This record gives sequence, C-alpha cells and structure tokens, in this order.
Amino acid sequence: MFDLPPQARAPAALLWVLGQAALVLTAGLRADHIFSFRMFPEASTLEVHLSRVTRGFTLPAPRGEWAAKDEAGQLRHFSWRDRVRDPVLESVDVPVFASYGTDAQLARLQRALDDVADNIDQDDETLRLRADIRVSKNGRDPYAATLFSHLRRGR
Amino acid sequence: MLDSLRRWRDEVGDTHGLGAARVVLGLLLFANALRAARELKVGYFGDFFHWPILPAPLVADHNLYAVLVISQVLLSAFVVAGHRARGALFLSATIGLYVLLCDRLQFHNNRLALFFYALILSFSPCDRAFSVTRVVPTATGPLWAARLAQFQVSFIYVASGGSKLLDPDWRSGRVLGERFILFGPGAVANGVPESVVKWVAHPDLASALAKIAIATELGLAVALWSRRTRILALWWGVWFHLAIEASSRVEGFTWLTLALYALFSTPDLRARKLYYDPFRWRSRAIARAIAWLDWLSRFEVKAWAPDRLGEGHGLVIVRRDGTLATGLGALTMLTRCIPSLFPLWAPLALAASFTRSGDAGART
Repeated sequence: MFDLPPQARAPAALLWVLGQAALVLTAGLRADHIFSFRMFPEASTLEVHLSRVTRGFTLPAPRGEWAAKDEAGQLRHFSWRDRVRDPVLESVDVPVFASYGTDAQLARLQRALDDVADNIDQDDETLRLRADIRVSKNGRDPYAATLFSHLRRGR
Repeated sequence: MLDSLRRWRDEVGDTHGLGAARVVLGLLLFANALRAARELKVGYFGDFFHWPILPAPLVADHNLYAVLVISQVLLSAFVVAGHRARGALFLSATIGLYVLLCDRLQFHNNRLALFFYALILSFSPCDRAFSVTRVVPTATGPLWAARLAQFQVSFIYVASGGSKLLDPDWRSGRVLGERFILFGPGAVANGVPESVVKWVAHPDLASALAKIAIATELGLAVALWSRRTRILALWWGVWFHLAIEASSRVEGFTWLTLALYALFSTPDLRARKLYYDPFRWRSRAIARAIAWLDWLSRFEVKAWAPDRLGEGHGLVIVRRDGTLATGLGALTMLTRCIPSLFPLWAPLALAASFTRSGDAGART
C-alpha cells in the first residue's frame, strides 16, 4: 500500500503540494490562522476581565469566580476554570501572552464565553457572560475590546 | 523538464538518512503521545471547553480518545524499532491529525509538522535502515517521498518566513523586540545575564535580528536545494534552530527539523573511508566512537597496517574523491559528516582553509 507505483508518485506529490499551498493561502479565512505554519506571529498580550449580565445589572466575576442562585433559590458557586483549561484562556484578571496572536485568542475567547454560558445550568441569574479585554498588540498601547457570550437558552 | 521530473520520480539511493529521520520522528511521536496521556490523566479534553473543526458527533468520546492515545504510544514504539514502521507512521499521522481536528485548541505548528512528516515518510522506504526487522535486505530504495519531505521542510520555511516578511511589525523588529521584553524576565531567571536581555531587546538590534531571521528562513528554503550552498545552509540552519530552541518553547520542532535535515545529505553509503591505527588505544576509541555516531553511514571504518603514510597519524580519512586527510583536515571532514559534530563544522572548515596541514593530498 505504501509503495506507490511510479505512475502514481507525481500525482500524489502534486496533490500534496496543492493541499499545502491551499492551507497556507486560506489562512486568513480562519480566525486562528491554523494549518498555515505562521511561527511566532505576534508578541501581544491580553488581560481578560469577566463579568456577567443579569436582569438590570452587569456584575463582575473577579478571577472568573462568581456566586448565583439556582432555580430553587440556593446560592451556588461557579468558576470559569471549571470549563476552561486552556493555559491562555483560563487566565483572568492578569496579563497573559497571546500565543498565536490576538486574533486567534479573541476568536477562542468568544467560543469559550459561549461554551461556559451553555454549561452553567444551575445559574438562574446570568443572562450572558461578558469579557472586557485589554489588548496590547506587539507592545503598542493597549486598546479595549468587549465580547459577549450568546444569550443563554431559555433566558 | 519532463526528464528532471522522471529523474525525481525514479531516483533510488541509500536510505540511512530516512532511517535516522524515522527514528527521531518515532521518539518525537512517543513524546507527543506521552504528553497527551499526561493531559488525559488530568481530564479528557471533551469534558472541558474545546473547539472542534469536525462536527460534534465525529469528535472522539472519552473512551475512544483514551484508546487513541494508548495506540499512539504503541505505534511510536513500532516507528522507532522499524518494525512495520511505515504502517505505524501512517496511523500515527492519521490519529494525530484527527485529534487536531477534534480540538483546535490543541493545535500547534510543531505538532502539525510532526504529523505531516510522519505521513510523508510512511510512503518512503524508511524501514530499510535502523530496523529490528528488515523487510528488504538492501538499504537502498526509491527517494521520491524523501524529496517530498524535503519540499515540506522548505515549504514550512517559506510559509513562516513569508508571513513574517509580509508583516510590517515583524519586518521592523517590533515583534521580536517585544518578545525579548516579554520573555526577558524568564530568561534572566534561567541564568541569562540581564545586560544580554536588554541588549537584544534594543530596537536596532531587534530590527537587525528580525531581518536576519526572515532572510534565514527564506534563504534556507532555497539554499538547501543547491549542491554549492547546501552544506553552509545546513550548518546555518542547525544553529538557527538551536538558537530558537534555547529561546522559545517549540516542543520537539527543533529536533524534528534537524532530523529532516538528514534527508538533504547525499545518499551515498560508506563512500568515505576512515583508517585507524589499531595499535593506539586513542585511535581505536575514536574509530569506535565514529562508527557509533555515523548515523548516516558515511564512513567505512577500518583498521590499517601502519605504513609510511600512517606514521605519526592515528587516523586517516579517504575522501569521496580519493584524496586523503589527516589532522585538522580529517577533523573537519568528521564534523562535516557526523551529525552530532556538525555544529562545529564551519569554524573548523574555516581554520582548515588557511592551512594545508592535514591535507595529505595523495589519492589512494
């Protein structure tokens, strides 16, 4: 199976080369530019501050921790890190190196917000999660960005 | 054009370089599988936030993932041993790429490169050397897939260097300088003098280093293919990757690329001879060490009966063209051909170029 006959070698190699070229040339279409061998693309940092949007209030969630009542009125504890274990994304309230660049990490953070919002079933107060981010791209002055999770189902 | 395509397609040669690259790939696949096993012990990625490229039903569940990780460990052993190595490489690559598609948070360029190289090498006769169970009695075989792996090395350099060239922040040195600033405290904690960290983070130096890095990546992509420039390109590339290894966390990418460099060596088996004086313990020890370190099988190591030429020399090398080298010339030759000594080659070659000492000149 692995010894390709001579007539199959050139088409196989051509297919490989075209595939590689396609992966690199379409990198811009993927938020995290994966499969494109962009090594050390940036030297940027992010500082994420989490909060949660409830009816009428936006309440901070320092260090990604918060307490909220469940349906029965029982107070429960929630943590961002219960779901998010990625070394960059789990870091809240501290500056962290944005490996693979800010675009990649912001795209991942958006997904993480949605994921956590979908997995805090016992939180009967939070409508959506919010992340306020200080983004410093390649050592420039930081700018602010805000991301929201989608609205939690049934809220 | 058609002729060169045919030559590329039908080229046959020694596969010791492929075998050496396979062994290193196997070790790196083993390290990668161990890392995955350690992470699995902490928790299955699907139980936490993950970002699949595949549709959710196609993502491996906990049990399947555990089986895949264990398989990767076992397969890597097959790759290293050379037993059913090509099938093991193919399966390792397929599982590795599947896992990357299950969770793009686990994506790293070095892991992608590892799986791509494993996939390509599975189509090469990489199991004919350094194998516990040789399928074919000869160590020669078709080299088209080895050339494709070489293309992949160059392609990665072009993709990486090209993306930097197109980025004004990279070109100006801003990215590199900022990296030095961000990771400087860690380097200082690891013993790098603070003054050195400050020095390399200086905008002018960072700018120069950035241009050197871009030129290196793009230059290597081309220079590795020319017979005239290859040896210097390989030497420069070795130091380039060792510098990256010392300053950044790139998992096994350094060793992966250096292993693939073996494919750029001319595939000639024992085309050089190393004669040693069997009556001197030092010559015997050096000859034994060289035989052990000669992973690409460049030398035929033989004891000689000391003759007039041998007087005063414990070792004599017969080059590929039949000329003889002793002393500094022989040492330069050894560093050129022995992978683990190769980083020393250029300064020795430079020193040797100033003297005729060690160049016995005569042909055998």
